[in-house]
Amino acid sequence: MTINEEIMWVEKYRPKTLDDIVDLSHVVESLKAFLKNPHSMPHLLLAGIPGTGKTTVALCIARQLFGEKWKSFTLELNASDERGINTVRDRIKDFSRYGRTGFGEAPFSLIILDESDQMTGPAQTALRRIMETSSRTSRFILICNYSNKIIEPIQSRCAIFRFSKLDKVAMIDHLKKIAKTENLRLLDAAAERIVEYSEGDLRHAINALQTTAAYQKDVIDEQTVLQVFGEASPRQVQMMLNKALSGNFIEARKMMYDLIGQYGFSGSEIVRQIQRELIKIPHLSDSQKAELTDIIGEYDYRMTQGANSDIQLSALLAQFSKFGK
Amino acid sequence: MKTNLLWVEKYRPKKISDVVGNELAKTELINWLQSKRHKKKGVLLYGPAGVGKTALVNAASNQFNFSIIEMNASDTRTEKAINKIGKPATSFIALDTFSSERRGNILFLDEVDGVFGRQDRGGIKAIINIIKESLIPVVMAANDVDQQKLRPLKKVCQMIRFQQIRIPLIITTLRKICVAENIQAEFEALERIAQNSLGDMRSAINDLQSIGEGKQFLKLQDTAFLTVRNKDVGMYDTLKGMFSSETIGDSAMVLNRSNVNYDDFLLSFSDNLPLRYRNPTDLATAYDLVSRADMFRGRVGTDNWHLLRYFFNFLAEAATVSPKSYKSFDLIYPPMRIMKLFWTKGKRTNLENICAKISLRCHVSQNTAKTDMIPYIKMMIKKQKSSSIISWLKLEPNDVDFLLKLNDL
Repeated sequence: MTINEEIMWVEKYRPKTLDDIVDLSHVVESLKAFLKNPHSMPHLLLAGIPGTGKTTVALCIARQLFGEKWKSFTLELNASDERGINTVRDRIKDFSRYGRTGFGEAPFSLIILDESDQMTGPAQTALRRIMETSSRTSRFILICNYSNKIIEPIQSRCAIFRFSKLDKVAMIDHLKKIAKTENLRLLDAAAERIVEYSEGDLRHAINALQTTAAYQKDVIDEQTVLQVFGEASPRQVQMMLNKALSGNFIEARKMMYDLIGQYGFSGSEIVRQIQRELIKIPHLSDSQKAELTDIIGEYDYRMTQGANSDIQLSALLAQFSKFGK
Repeated sequence: MKTNLLWVEKYRPKKISDVVGNELAKTELINWLQSKRHKKKGVLLYGPAGVGKTALVNAASNQFNFSIIEMNASDTRTEKAINKIGKPATSFIALDTFSSERRGNILFLDEVDGVFGRQDRGGIKAIINIIKESLIPVVMAANDVDQQKLRPLKKVCQMIRFQQIRIPLIITTLRKICVAENIQAEFEALERIAQNSLGDMRSAINDLQSIGEGKQFLKLQDTAFLTVRNKDVGMYDTLKGMFSSETIGDSAMVLNRSNVNYDDFLLSFSDNLPLRYRNPTDLATAYDLVSRADMFRGRVGTDNWHLLRYFFNFLAEAATVSPKSYKSFDLIYPPMRIMKLFWTKGKRTNLENICAKISLRCHVSQNTAKTDMIPYIKMMIKKQKSSSIISWLKLEPNDVDFLLKLNDL
């Protein structure tokens, strides 16, 4: 990599070894113990909120197990992109069965399943069997946000590690380290703002830092950080919420369709965003937010039962407009 | 005079001028048939039952001397069957065009909205192909063209709309038949039959035959046993009927009678709610009921059809939250979702391709790429148009253009 070449910092500064990892000492220690004798390593289930280092840990393990050639021993799949039973049956089964054992010093092949809580029920059931039959030739690392969305038989086959929100101080340190390498002066106030707005999500924080750096050379101050977060926040979702909460249902619904049409979001993704932005609205009291969250939850549930998520989303917005009147 | 013929057959129009009503549609079809070069090779006649769609085609064939190759709902219409009849019929100009005074053939597909279910797999596709390749005119007829499956067909056809026949026209026709059958009929009796038919000529003639055949006099009291027929109600009328009903019962009845596609209907119903209820509280109540109806639609799935009654009920309730506030309004149709998604499909595919590239490079799912990475990447590219991140992510120039134009989330 030449010096001039700019890449996404989330990748550039992704730790290469477990020792480089930010603020996860309890997880890292036990994993290192496994790696001393790789044959003893069980399947792993890494659970926790986004941007806390789950994928990074998995990639570090792969690198440490297989060295530079890790890519040829590892199958990395994103379950939310390929979540049906066919993926499990075809790609995972094949890879696990004809693991690359015997071709090198690697003890087994590694299968990293990111966002595995997005896998359908049947796919998980199929996976459970494969994990058992292929344990001689391969290991699984399942990564998810919510471990309770993983069926119990799979949980019981895995060593579970929980990743909690990253520590503020550790995040600030990490950001400063990056800034230093990039020859930037990251002011304290700016660093704190970034950490505050990214809510313990290091990916967000690093993306924001890099974007800010594109805006301003040398010194990064609070002003620019605020500007970047203002522009990166989902304003369409916020506007849709505000329209609904001010009683303008028709406009709100139109924006909902714009979101679906432009970004191809699923119903539950939109609900997730609404919920996330609702908490940030300044002029609502806590009890009002609780009431609205209750409504969101109800329609989120109905969406799982219903035939068409548009209907439930519209109904949700209608409740909001009634609330706002 | 007594015959075994159904009167609807016996008095079927022989000439185009015998076909009653729908003058506009008539001229349109005749012009289309007579024109040498058709803008669209197929024509789709649509409208309620018994208004003369089939009659007009038959009358036209008599008058212009062309033969009809017909296929209707009673024939199976899988892709194969349609090709078997349609292909040869449309790919050769028949020999008898030259040997007799016949002017040629037309292919007539009646009731195309009919049975394209699982049994008739691929039928619509086959019809569209035939229309495209056909050397002879293709005429189709249908009652309900609101269905989603007919949408591709509507694009390649000239649409000709038929309306209900006006009551006076029906009365006149009934009177002519009575004269021919030697029946002395009271005007009120004929008026009653005509009104009862709701503009359906065929049912009016059938009714007349059932109470009048063989009689010398036809009086008003003879019509007492006529029952209102169940009309097939289309999307538009179902919506209108449900929203204007005063009680849940009436509203449910409208839905019950109609044979709309429930998923399309649910979307349209939801689209029109905000126009129906201006008051946010009413609107919220109605939407809550629609949301429950949708849940039941989900539970019905493809086999628990008995649950459909709850679906009906919730929708009927949603349509009559405040019956007194009903004012006529312009219904929205077709569903907004379908329009929206149709126009933006290309954009979404573009976005998805970009997300797939990011997902490959940054070890994130495509959805995370969409929500967490794109906003930042977009800002960086905007700031530094030649940023090497672009090549690192393997984004093409058109991807970059797309991102720069993409509306903010």
